[in-house]
Amino acid sequence: MRVRTFFLTFVMGGILAISDLTAEELDIFGYFEPQYMLLYREGDSYQLNSNKIRVDLQSYVSNVEFGADLIYNLYYGKRSWNMLDFFPAGISDEIPPEMRSYFRYTFNDTLYLDNVYVRMSNSRIACTFGKQQISPGTGYFSNPVDVFNLKDVLDPTYEQTGHNGARLDVMLSGRTKMMFFYSPIAGAWKGSGKLIRFKAGLGHFDFTLTGYEFRDELTDVYSLLVKNERRRLLGFEFVGELLGLGVWGEGAYNLMEISDDFYEFLVGTDYTFESGFYFLLEYHRNERGKTNYEDYNINDWLRFYLGETKTICRDQMYGMLRYPLTDLMNLQLMTVFSVSDGSAAFVPVIDYNIFQNVDLSIMGNIYTGSEGKVYNSELGNGVIIRGRVYF
Amino acid sequence: MVLFNHAANQLFPIEIFKGGNMFKKTLIVFILIVSFVVTAEEDKGRITAEEIIKTATETLNPEQSKAVVEMTIITSGGEERTFVYKSYSKKSGEKSLMKYLEPGRVKNQSVLMLNNADDIWMYFPRTNRVRKLATHAKRQKVQGGDFSYEDLGSSNEFIEDYNSVLIGEEEKEGKLCYKLELTAKEDSNAGYSRLIVWVEKENYVPVSIKYFHEKDRELLEKELILRDVKTVDGIPTPMEMTMYNRLDDTKTSMRFKELNYDVDLPDNLFTEMGMKR
Repeated sequence: MRVRTFFLTFVMGGILAISDLTAEELDIFGYFEPQYMLLYREGDSYQLNSNKIRVDLQSYVSNVEFGADLIYNLYYGKRSWNMLDFFPAGISDEIPPEMRSYFRYTFNDTLYLDNVYVRMSNSRIACTFGKQQISPGTGYFSNPVDVFNLKDVLDPTYEQTGHNGARLDVMLSGRTKMMFFYSPIAGAWKGSGKLIRFKAGLGHFDFTLTGYEFRDELTDVYSLLVKNERRRLLGFEFVGELLGLGVWGEGAYNLMEISDDFYEFLVGTDYTFESGFYFLLEYHRNERGKTNYEDYNINDWLRFYLGETKTICRDQMYGMLRYPLTDLMNLQLMTVFSVSDGSAAFVPVIDYNIFQNVDLSIMGNIYTGSEGKVYNSELGNGVIIRGRVYF
Repeated sequence: MVLFNHAANQLFPIEIFKGGNMFKKTLIVFILIVSFVVTAEEDKGRITAEEIIKTATETLNPEQSKAVVEMTIITSGGEERTFVYKSYSKKSGEKSLMKYLEPGRVKNQSVLMLNNADDIWMYFPRTNRVRKLATHAKRQKVQGGDFSYEDLGSSNEFIEDYNSVLIGEEEKEGKLCYKLELTAKEDSNAGYSRLIVWVEKENYVPVSIKYFHEKDRELLEKELILRDVKTVDGIPTPMEMTMYNRLDDTKTSMRFKELNYDVDLPDNLFTEMGMKR
């Protein structure tokens, strides 16, 4: 309750700090999102449901913008899970019984500020302070240059939480831009995140160079420690078109303070046919991932589920086919295929705009791999039904 | 003088002057000269198809504009969806920016189109991500409606992508119009094989456009009707446009809620930063 009061006070304080706002100057909008998740696994069925409400506040006073959004998540159904249940049997058996409780996770009701920021801008420069969205990268399913967010490859466009920091955007010309971001997450300058990006347009292409220094964390089950080391990421992105196809790519080389350096890249292409049929294909390599699934160990699985590494296998392909069944309904099939271990997940999706401000999505999850592989059928198959009512 | 004689010989075949009396010869020469002069005067007063399309394009795309537009989509099932967006354009539509105001699910999303929609970027506020779209995305429907990004963002397509021929004059929607046929140039990226365009003679505002399928010259795909012409900052402007999709039996209407041409928009509005502001 104290936390909730603090958040609300903070939001209102932020609003009032800007100026004497009238009702017209403060825009309030958002959505309510009920979600039902059914999972069928090893002969049993489970459900985890949630009600989420997001309230966005936005205000513009001259060249100053204030924005915030408050999210409240209420969970019901099977709220407690053990991560070990989703590890291959041979792997989870390695964990001694007294340690199994460390892997338990409970979905507790949460209230938090997803973003809260103030942005001051003129025609060329924008300074943003507070918790804000940072989304580098051109990839659809995954972003090697993005170490801020963790996309769920089975639901890649779902919104991400904001990141604390100070940001400076400078437009150098119409299609040339510099961006600096300082994220004081550590107790001192040394361990905090420092990002610089340079973006330029050339013909039908946009190119971006990225440099980022931050502390990288890797959990180690055997020592029960979280290893922490400096990581310097050098990234390159492009997006444009070639022979009528949309093309994009991004690559990152990671210079590690202690562990081995590694690289990661993704390339993709897409096309829209006359009928509205759309396809997208991406290839993703992560040198941190392994080529043989028999080498996946407990640390690999844990880091994968915790989001410390984007993939557990080295090579993955992503595909998406989308067809507009009607003007208001899209049929979509997404697939994630591990080139390294041959397993795949399929996600059929129906998106329907039922009313002016009401969306309905029905998503299936079907895993096909054998035990021990990343998208193994032991993970179970499921359905997510998600409604969203905007206000 | 030699040149003149040569030209005269070309115009008046020499056989005419062989034989016959002098009066006949003089009469024939007189008639030919008079018809030549009258024809030349008529040609001088006749406007070409290219000039009509150029003037119509200029009328529809003033140097700069700022507007609030309400777009209503009616599906084949009769369902209705309404969007409201701010629209800015500069350099006669070469640069344009759309920012959605309503409904809530697309609020603050924006679309930047440069080089007559050859380059398109979309901004998604919930992720603060700007994504560049490839040219094929020009064919995608704007919010599921009957206008494509190409229809909205390409201001010079009639001139750049099509050859035009004036095929007559006729009344359309109660207005006396020039009727033109525009055929896609072979090397263009035109989204349609041909267009039939009716342009009002009085003010050069297009009244109707028929769009024929890219693969089938005879298959009518869409029909645009422009109505309610009002003079805004001295420029005649259709305040309402309705696109009928004849294949899907849907329609999308756009109406200007606010419109100004007398504006001075900064260049940096048409940038990534402008999309976010």
